[in-house]
Amino acid sequence: MKRRPIRIPNLGGAQAIILHRPHPTVQALTRQLTAIGLQVTQAWPELGPEALAADYIFFDADMSHDGMFPWEPGQPPIPMIALIGSEAPGRIEWSLKAGSHAQLLKPVGDNGAYSALLIARDAFDAQKALSAEIADLRRRLDERQTVVRAVALLAARGKSEAEAYAQLRQMAMAWRISFEDAAARIVAAQGGMDDRSERG
Amino acid sequence: MKRQIQLGLLFSRSGSYSLISEACRSGALAAIARINGDPAHDVSFVPVERDPSGNIDAYGPLCEEILRDSGARHVVGCITSWSRKEVIPTVEKFGGTLWYAVPYEGFEASDHVVYTHACPNQHLLPLLDWVMPAHGRRAYLTGSNYIWGWEMNRLARERILAAGGEVTGERYLPIGSRDVGRMIEELRFARPDFILNSMIGPSSYEFMTAYRGLGHEDAAFRPENCPVLSCNLTECELPALGQAAEGLVAAGPYFRGGTGWPGAGNFGSSHEAAAFSAVMELARLLAGREGAEHLPLSQLLAGGRGGIVDPETHHTVLPVIIARVEGGAFTSLKRWEAVAGDPYLTRSKQTTKAPVLRVVS
Repeated sequence: MKRRPIRIPNLGGAQAIILHRPHPTVQALTRQLTAIGLQVTQAWPELGPEALAADYIFFDADMSHDGMFPWEPGQPPIPMIALIGSEAPGRIEWSLKAGSHAQLLKPVGDNGAYSALLIARDAFDAQKALSAEIADLRRRLDERQTVVRAVALLAARGKSEAEAYAQLRQMAMAWRISFEDAAARIVAAQGGMDDRSERG
Repeated sequence: MKRQIQLGLLFSRSGSYSLISEACRSGALAAIARINGDPAHDVSFVPVERDPSGNIDAYGPLCEEILRDSGARHVVGCITSWSRKEVIPTVEKFGGTLWYAVPYEGFEASDHVVYTHACPNQHLLPLLDWVMPAHGRRAYLTGSNYIWGWEMNRLARERILAAGGEVTGERYLPIGSRDVGRMIEELRFARPDFILNSMIGPSSYEFMTAYRGLGHEDAAFRPENCPVLSCNLTECELPALGQAAEGLVAAGPYFRGGTGWPGAGNFGSSHEAAAFSAVMELARLLAGREGAEHLPLSQLLAGGRGGIVDPETHHTVLPVIIARVEGGAFTSLKRWEAVAGDPYLTRSKQTTKAPVLRVVS
């Protein structure tokens, strides 16, 4: 699969929150982010609800835990960058579970923030796009049985299976809905209750 | 009694980009002479020079030699972005400062570097905003095979496509290579509206000469029809180009004979001017502050009462001039007075489509 081109995010005025106790690393990172053009705030020991409006979270991978984030563990709604001091496997594992998209090694010095921002944004976007695609594919897989039933219903009116399939496709196009949704409509209208729907 | 302060100079006096090094070096030396000869100034600079001779691997060690073996905390030097990136870990390690006086590709704001020449919102972007309405939106991109050419062309491509234009080709040559035949052959077929030349040294000289020849064969490639644009060519390289420079359009903060920046003074090129202004600003920051020469850059700037260096980005406000080589000298086509350096393109308003600008000639 060809990799999609990277999107250079517009970072001017973007909000970054650094979840880390006051430390020279926070100062160095703040300097870098400010130079790049972001608005930076520091938070400790937990992220407030304002984190939901931020564009990037930098978090201390050494001292943080799930309870510090105002969202389901591992489900950050924005890109997350781990600030890693101790490269202990348990901490790396936790920061991956927390959903980190990129990392920056401590002590943070003169550089590194810009590439972390771009990589985190790209990984976040890719993950989001993949999740949406997988959810869609999963839903369509679930609908296979409905499609089979719709084709059978249409074929029962004297069409060949291929003709019934083509007709279903045309209906979906005419209604401007997905193939699977069209099949569900046919089943609902002509076949009475779709027993699948009872399974939720 | 003046304070004697050592000042590092790290310029290659030989190698493929030595014309630029010499221009920067003479600008720095002119400023040193000015400061040293000014009885009202309490600072006197003592140059500590090292010459990497155009060898990329010599920059880091020679910069370390200056910072480790002399009292110098400030180094004026480096031409290529490649060498600047080699030197930054060294100045960081020693708490020193690099004063960098060459146009570069942006996306950097080191805590240990001051950038006194232009970054893309001060050269490439205004140049594209000028050329697309004037000549068209079909571009051919060339560069030397390192970060300056790569990043300039990436940004140019992004802006050209956003403006509805087209990139007809993109080619690179290793630094020092004269192998421009393939580019010329591609141009015959690509027939762009303009060429962005981000090559340095002999590659660029050879290309300009061959392209002038192509213009003799086919009028579509004469400068008035398909100009070559550059953000790195200045007067300091015109002797190497001769007639081949005619019609070249360049962007920069200064062209010979200009006024306004950097203050009074007649400089040979913007390279010379930017190095001069770097040393003058350092002298201003040190003046009357005993011991300030040992401070890290952030503290030096914090106590510096204003000045030209933006404390957040370490870039400077510069004029932007677009100029064309006519009769061996640059003639200004368009000028903006004061544009702040915006290395990450996050601070200034960015145009995504080409504004309507007229050629002023």
